[in-house]
Amino acid sequence: MSMFDYDARPITPQVVLIGTHASHGAYAIRDFLSRNGAPFEWVDAGQPDAVRAALGVAEVDASALPVCILPDGTQLAPATVEQVAAGLGMVAAPSLSEYDLTIVGAGPAGLAAAVNAASEGLRTVVIEAVAPGGQAGTTSMIENYLGFPNGISGSELATRAVVQARRFGAELLLARPLVDVSADGPGYVAELSDGARVRGRTLLFASGVDWRRLDVPGIGDLLGAGVYYGAGPSEALACAGSQVIVVGGGNSAGQAVVRFSRYAQHVTLLVRGADLSGSMSQYLVDRVSTLPNVDVRVRTEVVGLEADEFLRAVIVRSAEHTEPVRLVTGALFICIGGIPRTDGATGIELSTNDAGYLVTGSDVAADPGRGWPLPREPLPLETNRPGVFAAGDVRCGSVKRCAAAIGEGSMAVALIHRRLAEAGGD
Amino acid sequence: MTDQPAMPSPGAAALEEFAQLASDERIAKAAAALKGNGIRAFVVDSGGDARDVVRTLLTDGAEVFNNTSQTLEAIGVAEDIERSGRYQPLRLRLYRMDREMQLREMRTLAASPDYVVGSVHALTEGGSLLIASASGSQLGPLASGAGHVILVVGGQKVVADVESGIRRLYEYCYPLEDARAREAYGVPSGVNNILIINKVVAGERVTVIIVKERLGF
Repeated sequence: MSMFDYDARPITPQVVLIGTHASHGAYAIRDFLSRNGAPFEWVDAGQPDAVRAALGVAEVDASALPVCILPDGTQLAPATVEQVAAGLGMVAAPSLSEYDLTIVGAGPAGLAAAVNAASEGLRTVVIEAVAPGGQAGTTSMIENYLGFPNGISGSELATRAVVQARRFGAELLLARPLVDVSADGPGYVAELSDGARVRGRTLLFASGVDWRRLDVPGIGDLLGAGVYYGAGPSEALACAGSQVIVVGGGNSAGQAVVRFSRYAQHVTLLVRGADLSGSMSQYLVDRVSTLPNVDVRVRTEVVGLEADEFLRAVIVRSAEHTEPVRLVTGALFICIGGIPRTDGATGIELSTNDAGYLVTGSDVAADPGRGWPLPREPLPLETNRPGVFAAGDVRCGSVKRCAAAIGEGSMAVALIHRRLAEAGGD
Repeated sequence: MTDQPAMPSPGAAALEEFAQLASDERIAKAAAALKGNGIRAFVVDSGGDARDVVRTLLTDGAEVFNNTSQTLEAIGVAEDIERSGRYQPLRLRLYRMDREMQLREMRTLAASPDYVVGSVHALTEGGSLLIASASGSQLGPLASGAGHVILVVGGQKVVADVESGIRRLYEYCYPLEDARAREAYGVPSGVNNILIINKVVAGERVTVIIVKERLGF
């Protein structure tokens, strides 16, 4: 037994979650708790003894699942992510009536901007829909980030960045998505899903990208029941000894393969392209190629799923085989990106490219149709709305790497200072 | 290892010698001796008072590791550290790390917190502190890894000297900890490592709060 089996578990009561593995709602809460680093005990609703130990009764009506018992003893049944977040004290109202900078998204770009802005004295608030870290937050090990020769996990990087941002005075509003943005004089008002309104003199979209949905019949019904978007930490242990399939050709997929290879009996990586080198960092390509329990199938796509209550097999079609191939698995992780997260931005009509990424800087200036209203040129990273900036994966033309997102988030703050000076009061 | 037979409960003699609350005089003597050994010492009447002292000692935002301790759990210090939101509780941070991928980060993080808060198994009237550990993980940070050490000590842990302290550890604490470890982790415990702190050279690095109550074992 390692020292961490003794010393890396909470002493005080934690969240208890009772549900079925096939439940979307239970998966959403598991994923939320996991990504926010909130320890929890999972109780399978099909295990009467475990349910009795948690609730005092052997069975729970299906309509009451998932049940969540909070550390103070409060029972939520059926529980939702919003209720759990509120019950754990994670939902705070904005403390100021106005901020110099509102940042949408607490991934690498947003947190870098928060640290730099707050450290320079800007009143800074970050809005995050789910959990700090963004896509990088679910990455098991980033090995090419400067200053960490042995690598650092995405969640640990995010944890440190959050501490750093808060230490400088930045405020984080978690667990509520942005639903609308409206112009308010020279500034902008962001409205959150719970009705909270955040007024900022400038706005930075660092909202990143969502995983691209795989277009396969029936896949939506299996979310959390064998099909997962991203490689969230909540499911890694559950894959011990099993057959795992990862879809994607980027670094996220490569890192997921490395992680699951430590737990699973076998991992298959499905890649649509002809090879990995075009989309994955070479160190990950090399790592994946040396793992004995991993095989990579290129020019291969998922065309069907077999399932009862859970995923049982994946049907793939490849250039090498004329007939589809059936791969038995209970866990399919889809790590293909991405769909830019610009929800809530429609109220101020931000200009995007055809794929939905926010257009900034010279790309705005180059196209009069984008409606830039000022006599000066848009600043780099500035969208078609003065004072609204974009950084990281959500920005058209960005390099989809963690370090690049951090660079853009940091750079944005210098530009935001210029905008604040222009608007007065800086 | 799991075949190891469970330790018998402490005998009557051990209970008589090691489970009784020390007199105010002996506690005062131990506190004075601690100060002479470079260890800051407080004497308080209750666990609640000790909890208040710990709160005043910990810095907001600090990385705090709360050792596995019946004492800390009983008086609410574990709850303050893990749930108040004032600190960075390292137990929770370690808990969510991937043991397959992040073992190195875990070792580094656990080895050098800003504060480690725990207890001891014996405090001598001469101002020495004795701590035993099965895994040894607690001892490095106590000896030197942690920036600050805060130890909350129930008044029944005061013993005459180091020899009595060693006997307390083997004859009284070990059987009780063995039973707890089997219940909590499903494995036996063991007196595999012992740390004795006789003197501290870094001023005010180690603080001991002696409580005039029986706390922990």
